Amino acid sequence: MALDAFFFIRVLIFPGFTFILFFTMFCDWVERKIEARMQNRVGPAVAGPHGILQPLADFMKLLTKEDIVPLDAKQILFKVSPIISFSVLVFAMSLLPIDGSSAIPDASFSGDLIFIMALVTIANFLLFLSGWASSNPYGSIGATRVLTQFLGYDIPLMILALGPAFLAGSLSIAGIAAGQFLPFIVLAPWAFVLFVITLQAELEKDPFDIPHADSEVVGGLETEYCGGKLAFLHLTRDVQIVFGAALVVELFLGGPYGPVFFGVPEFWYTLWFVLKLLVVVVISEYLTTLFARLRIDQVVTANWKILLPLSLAAFALTVALGVWVYPMLV
Amino acid sequence: MSNTAIDIVDILQTKFKDTLVQVQPAQLGKATVLANSSTHRDVLKVLLEADERTAVSAITGIDLITTIGVFYHIRTAKGGIITIKTEVPKEGPRINTISDLIPGAAFHEMEVADLLGVVFVGNPSSGRLVLPDNWPDDVFPLRKDAKLDNLKMKDAPSGETEPSGETNTVKIIVGPQHPALLEPEKFALKVEGEIVKGVEPRIGYVHRGVEKAAESRTYLQDVYLVERICGICNTCHASCFVETVEKILKTEVPPRAKYIRTILLELNRLHSHLLTLGHAGLEIGYETLFQYFWRDREPIMDITEIITGNRVISSSLTVGGVRSDINETDIPKIKTMLANLRKRLPFYKRIYADEPSLKMRMRNVGTLKRADALALCIVGPTARGSGVDIDVRKDEPYEAYGEIPFKVITRDSGDTWARMNVRMDEVEESINIIEYALDHLPTGPFRVRAPRVVPAGEAVNRVEAPRGELFYYVKSNGTAYPERVKVRTPTFANIPAFLKTAIGGNIADVPANFVSLDPCFSCTDR
Amino acid sequence: MGMANAVLWSRLKSPWVLHFNSGACNGCDIEVVALLTPKYDVERFGIKLEPSPRHADVLLVTGSVTQQCAERLKRIYDQMPEPKFVVAIGACACAGGVFRGNYNVLNGVDQVIPVNAYIPGCPPKPEAIIDGVVKLLNSLKPEKTAREGKKK
Repeated sequence: MALDAFFFIRVLIFPGFTFILFFTMFCDWVERKIEARMQNRVGPAVAGPHGILQPLADFMKLLTKEDIVPLDAKQILFKVSPIISFSVLVFAMSLLPIDGSSAIPDASFSGDLIFIMALVTIANFLLFLSGWASSNPYGSIGATRVLTQFLGYDIPLMILALGPAFLAGSLSIAGIAAGQFLPFIVLAPWAFVLFVITLQAELEKDPFDIPHADSEVVGGLETEYCGGKLAFLHLTRDVQIVFGAALVVELFLGGPYGPVFFGVPEFWYTLWFVLKLLVVVVISEYLTTLFARLRIDQVVTANWKILLPLSLAAFALTVALGVWVYPMLV
Repeated sequence: MSNTAIDIVDILQTKFKDTLVQVQPAQLGKATVLANSSTHRDVLKVLLEADERTAVSAITGIDLITTIGVFYHIRTAKGGIITIKTEVPKEGPRINTISDLIPGAAFHEMEVADLLGVVFVGNPSSGRLVLPDNWPDDVFPLRKDAKLDNLKMKDAPSGETEPSGETNTVKIIVGPQHPALLEPEKFALKVEGEIVKGVEPRIGYVHRGVEKAAESRTYLQDVYLVERICGICNTCHASCFVETVEKILKTEVPPRAKYIRTILLELNRLHSHLLTLGHAGLEIGYETLFQYFWRDREPIMDITEIITGNRVISSSLTVGGVRSDINETDIPKIKTMLANLRKRLPFYKRIYADEPSLKMRMRNVGTLKRADALALCIVGPTARGSGVDIDVRKDEPYEAYGEIPFKVITRDSGDTWARMNVRMDEVEESINIIEYALDHLPTGPFRVRAPRVVPAGEAVNRVEAPRGELFYYVKSNGTAYPERVKVRTPTFANIPAFLKTAIGGNIADVPANFVSLDPCFSCTDR
Repeated sequence: MGMANAVLWSRLKSPWVLHFNSGACNGCDIEVVALLTPKYDVERFGIKLEPSPRHADVLLVTGSVTQQCAERLKRIYDQMPEPKFVVAIGACACAGGVFRGNYNVLNGVDQVIPVNAYIPGCPPKPEAIIDGVVKLLNSLKPEKTAREGKKK
């Protein structure tokens, strides 16, 4: 892996950091528009054509606000956690095959599925630390809720992710994406449905968005943050949503692979990746708008008593089918 | 076990025949009982024995120059208000509490203590209720001789005190600026883990001194003043006030005006219930429901604007009738808008009855038992959700309600879900009432001129506001300015319900529980 | 020069509001909440209702500021990061409204914090509130000289 211009272009611009940043903002706009249209409203409409520049305006405005750090906060943690959290997630994202291979060239290895899930856990933990470092009662409660939720739901998420890994015979995401002769949503639809539901909880979206329940915890872990740090907290959350959707695409929808009609295959791979990801974002946002918010004890019960047993059953079913039934079809 | 009001007056007259207690029938409600500070509890015990649904409607404190009057307005089951009048000397005003007989009276007594300085011996609560923390100790605003210019405020107390002793208990302050509350009030929740162990309310953030201000404005100016006690139920405040004044004046309002007033009151109820039903959605994270309900609420505001010219504060009621008529040409348009709303109702009813995530957040949350609802003197949909059948429109019909058929909605489970469903069903009843009224609108004048100077006298009046029974007491002294205007709003009477139902529940249930009470703090504080 | 324009553009397109009731009758408040609903939908302008003072650019204040609220109002204003703006909505917030002169009332928001825009009305219609906020945002744009205006 030479540190040449090719490397820097891939990592920093496409399909690396810049692409991820702008794509995240685009997905944010898509989400806001869907939520608005489902609620009989228009949504952002003034910033750019059809409001498409709204997330960019939000980001820039936040960057230029005064930066206030409360005296009581744990200074270093408070200032540093949002940005590190964001960076970890961008790093995880750049290990996913977006245009046929990952942004960091030749970065996939066997077991990187587990490595990437660990990175997401670290990013979430840093979010918890940001809330805890702000020394604000609402921040602490919000942070604790984030911790309870993602630690719990990580387990069924991992178990469900192992289903496609088994079917593809590989523990590397690139391997799983490439090994889908038939997208795994067809071969293991139960795993897909459960994965999407568990993902809603991981991403803290309705009906699992108690960490952001502003009628209970005001701003949650973000309460004390303002200015640039708040911008990065928001970006972290948005990148996490895109990352979750990307994971669904890689594991169940065949990754970036699809028919190539003419010209450069990378272009088509990126196009398919973007389209599939938008489908997942739309489904996720649809679920968000549809439901009310569950209480924290209901969220915890849903995890341990419902999703965990179901995910184990789903995994068992996938393995059983993979061993006895599917080899007969190939 | 329910007696009609006549029987109660008979019972009172027989019981207190040869005592100092005088019973005056048909005065200030169904009857006035002239008692004193040593006999008021006996009178109350007689009333409580007659019917378990007896409750305190309001306690008025009034400065009578040499003494301070403490009037207990007791609501009998179906018979109306019985007022027990007592007086205490101005120097050293003390009277025994009645909060051991009726727990719901504690709050009312605190207010009289706060604003007039009467000491209620035996009342467990203490401290400020509506006045701010740094209000000087010896100034009582409602006294006639209170000097309210150039007040020397005390130093404000610094922040919250930590809960003593128990280390597991954390105090969470909700408010005064909080996304769950539209208005500023502070509730300190003592929680252990996620369970609420205690609630300390601090109201008074919206206290604007309306009762005192009413005494220095004419009756007509007061209509505009009391309308703005609460922007949501403004028509109810206006109508209750003008009806009270009309009782003192003995003015008969023309039938057309009564029907128009009924229509405006029901429009008020419609917009308020739709507001609450949508706001409940916000509290439980159901933004989509909130948007849908408020979208369908907009036509109601438009109808109010068609009739009166204003969206929110209608300013259409006045002493003697209403200020503007309903045009015959507008009626078809109004009926079309109401028909459109009626078409949406089955969808909303299905949501509140069946939607799973809503039921998970609202069923068995904040349950108020019927016995507690009676003991704490709860009113309105909060009480009707617990099976208590009270509605001023049926109990003591006013305006045109005596002539219009409608149902009083009650439910039995007493939880948040029941209360919201009571409001949901009342929306349909309101539409029925408005359509009936529009179809049967009498012809004739919509207003009679009333004298500006009101002869000396006093009266009480109640209307059914969207949140419950609204109570007014007005005393006139023969000038153009009222001597005393006492307002008892439904949320003021209902706050004890929240204090009771929040305890033992989750923190996460507090917003849903709170909104099912439909609190309106601008009403509470005045 | 381009950077300053970009910054101004982002501030104009993304004003996040915090709503505070300093002792109002709720009339103005329900008109403010109605702004978020489908008929008026201020999310079109990028306006979002924020829960925490630290996140907001514009403070919408209703009510005639009771004694008890005055200190809280000041504290909330101090917690907001610069650049920040205050809009007084309704007759009460402008000068006390019907309650002017009452013993517990401070006669308007500008007795406590500096106000950038006054929107009169009792309550002002949602269209009037949108008009006021848009006028406030437009006042942030630099004045065009006569020469620049003619260039088109």
